[in-house]
Amino acid sequence: MTRLGFDPDELAACVGCGLCLPHCPTYRVTGLESASPRGRITAMRVVEEGMPLDDAFSTVIDECILCRGCEAACPSGVQYGHLAEAARERVARRRPPMRRLVEWVAFVAVLPRHSVLLACTWLLLVAQRLHLVPARLGLPRLSPRSLRTPIVPDGDPTAYLFTGCVMDAWQRDVHRAAVHVMRSCGAQVGLPTAGGDCCGALHAHAGRVGEARRLARRVMASMPGDAPIVVDSAGCGAAMKDYGRLLGGPAAAAFSARVQDFAEWVAARGAPPLRDTGITVVVQDPCHLRHVQHAEGSVRTILHDAYRLVETDDDGMCCGAGGAYAVTERDLATRVRDCKVAAIRAAAGAMPFLVASANPGCAMHLDAAGLDVRHPAELLAAALDDPKGAM
Amino acid sequence: MCFPESIEEISAAVGIACRHRVPFVARGSGTGLAGGATPVGDPLVIVTTRMNRILEIDAADRVAWVEPGVCNLDLSRSARHLGLHYAPDPSSQQACSIGGNVGTNAGGPHCLRDGVTSAHVLAVDVVLADGVITRLGGLAPDTPGYDLRGCFVGSEGTMGIAGRIAVRLLPDPPAVRTLLLDFASVAAAAATVSGIIAAGIVPAALEMMDAPITRLVEDFVGAGYPRDAEAVLLVEVSGLPEGVAAEVSGIGQVGRDHGARHVRVAADDAERELLWKGRKSAFGAIARIAPDYYLHDAVVPRTRLVEVLARVREIAAAQDLLVMNVFHAGDGNLHPLLVFDAREPGIWERVHAAGNGIVRACVEAGGVLSGEHGIGLEKRDLMPLVFDPDDLDAQARLRDAFDPSGLANPEKVLPRGSRCGEATRAPEGTWV
Ligand SMILES: Cc1cc2nc3c(=O)[nH]c(=O)nc-3n(C[C@H](O)[C@H](O)[C@H](O)COP(=O)(O)OP(=O)(O)OC[C@H]3O[C@@H](n4cnc5c(N)ncnc54)[C@H](O)[C@@H]3O)c2cc1C
Ligand code: SF4
Ligand code: SF4
Repeated sequence: MTRLGFDPDELAACVGCGLCLPHCPTYRVTGLESASPRGRITAMRVVEEGMPLDDAFSTVIDECILCRGCEAACPSGVQYGHLAEAARERVARRRPPMRRLVEWVAFVAVLPRHSVLLACTWLLLVAQRLHLVPARLGLPRLSPRSLRTPIVPDGDPTAYLFTGCVMDAWQRDVHRAAVHVMRSCGAQVGLPTAGGDCCGALHAHAGRVGEARRLARRVMASMPGDAPIVVDSAGCGAAMKDYGRLLGGPAAAAFSARVQDFAEWVAARGAPPLRDTGITVVVQDPCHLRHVQHAEGSVRTILHDAYRLVETDDDGMCCGAGGAYAVTERDLATRVRDCKVAAIRAAAGAMPFLVASANPGCAMHLDAAGLDVRHPAELLAAALDDPKGAM
Repeated sequence: MCFPESIEEISAAVGIACRHRVPFVARGSGTGLAGGATPVGDPLVIVTTRMNRILEIDAADRVAWVEPGVCNLDLSRSARHLGLHYAPDPSSQQACSIGGNVGTNAGGPHCLRDGVTSAHVLAVDVVLADGVITRLGGLAPDTPGYDLRGCFVGSEGTMGIAGRIAVRLLPDPPAVRTLLLDFASVAAAAATVSGIIAAGIVPAALEMMDAPITRLVEDFVGAGYPRDAEAVLLVEVSGLPEGVAAEVSGIGQVGRDHGARHVRVAADDAERELLWKGRKSAFGAIARIAPDYYLHDAVVPRTRLVEVLARVREIAAAQDLLVMNVFHAGDGNLHPLLVFDAREPGIWERVHAAGNGIVRACVEAGGVLSGEHGIGLEKRDLMPLVFDPDDLDAQARLRDAFDPSGLANPEKVLPRGSRCGEATRAPEGTWV
């Protein structure tokens, strides 16, 4: 093990060829080697060789969105995600006290405690109504009706829907749509029991690996049995598919094997009968769906009967949302988003369009730029022969 | 280090460097394989990554004006809707810049028929070493006077910096087919290469990979490359549909005559792209075996391929090193890769010994030092193997004519002592 805490062979795997550069959103917008995967790996190398772990290094690591576009492009098989998460963990330990406090509140006091999160969400909703929340923050318009109405699970589940922390508070209607579609497919839908309400992805990204592990164990305990676990947030799904590595051991690996993205699950069972809506939909591939889960094909499979699907011409470039990135690195996140929005608009041409995004973070980030973004589950639910269903 | 955003800013930066007598080095995407953009000492590094605008595409004249930092593949993508593309396609095309391509006179698989970078660059607006901007070449078919543009292309930043480049775009061929042939011996594959050319077919691309690299690439792309082949050929033909069909069957026949075990013709564009992705990832995929590689880029006469490849294997074996071969077989441009782990003690000596042996073997077979990657820092001291002192002196004087100050990318391309009587000359900088 090394200073940054990873296997030195993983670092040695980078031959510096640069083939990853064009796939890196931060390099694309800055043109800086230090904002590229190769530059970040070089920075890790010099720190390993004894350079101080200083602010410059923190910046280099913090500016990475962890989209892993570089990993998918790297012919050497560099496991960039592992390297960057380990580096994040080291960098997180030397944050200024104020930021550490804010992070502690977010990561320890709020996210893993669903009742606290819901209470905060009510406060936010009130603030929103009083116009105290600036629109540029990109929060969805919270709905009291949705917050008040819980989703009722079926008994004896044949599939679970993982509801998560922020998403259940802010975008519960997406879950409703997912449950509706799953039932139309004939499933009995179970929900995680108390305690299983935060997957720990944001923690792992922020370098809080210990907390991520603790949350992962809670999530595993909340959905026992062997029914498939359907996840309608690409970021959560990617994290849960990685529990096998995060925790080690056969139980975690077996749990990870049960996890499927919503689109994967529907595609494998065959979508229920849909009507052709004639609506144009530009597909946005969340990085954690495309580069990590490699499940972007399923989204197209399930939607193409009902919508006119259009592709962007940017090789699935990241939109800049990246979990908490849109908040912590706002300037870069906005510049990366500008490129994405331009690519989406160019793809749609003159047609009115919707954007499909399978990740709540991306959806909020793009929504704040004025696009009309829907989750594939919402699009499917709206195109069902019986859109109201048995909700 | 600076990041100019226009040719005027490059000129200003170079002007300042010139006034303070600081050497400067141009850098594009840094994918170069000869160390051309590597700073030696403490020069000003002028990075072009922010100059990535395509200034103009003239579809009627099939010319594009681009800034030097434009990524090679982005240019072809931007012209796709017009049915045009930029032909030189180095395997690094998704990352490397047009400026870097001009700097190294880059080649690529599809340069067999269409020619390397120089054949596609019409004009270059160059910032000379004193900061003056001048245009070399022009859009007219034959510009009068010496072909200074031709001189500049491939000069690896030693004659100034390209700040704007006019390139030729070619129309997309109406039909394209890609074939994969696999063989039980390298000799059979090499004989097929000669056979195809002898049959009067000039494919758009003709690439060979040997057994170790084929297996490696297959691990990365999963394109169905045969893991048990001793050598594979990737051949692409393009043009009018009838001609293409005839060439496909002709190549298949030549292959089978020379013992090809299978001839696979890609069914659609997706399959073609997957096969090419494999070939183009080859260098990068090396790290799946060992973290470091040392690569040569020699060109040998096609007729002597088999013999040179056998020598290359012997030389590597004598140093107990693994060598892999992936190369542009159609023009005899070899890329033997020596694969190793630099952390192993004493390894560099063995790698250098093998590297020198390989270069000597290629030169003895009538070859040259570099097909496309350039000389840079890495191959500089091998120049005397192919050029006698008079040749080197002539090249040094040509360079001096472009850059009398000697500030443009010094220490690259030409070894010290290239100029006749250089040892007796006053130190650089005092005589201008
Ligand atoms: C995986 C891989 C595959 C490759 N395959 C090929 C291949 O098939 N064919 C091939 O030819 N090469 C290949 N290369 C080598 C490399 O990609 C090319 O040499 C490419 O042209 C370099 O472009 P760059 O933008 O990275 O330039 P850099 O590496 O930044 O610079 C290369 C040289 O050009 C000079 N230069 C850069 N910009 C300018 C400018 N604006 N004006 C003047 N000089 C300039 C630099 O000073 C330096 O000497 C490969 C490299 C890799 C890593
Ligand atoms: S991460 Fe991979 S693609 Fe990027 S420079 Fe390193 S080896 Fe090349
Ligand atoms: S994870 Fe994304 S932002 Fe980070 S280096 Fe890789 S491509 Fe760039």
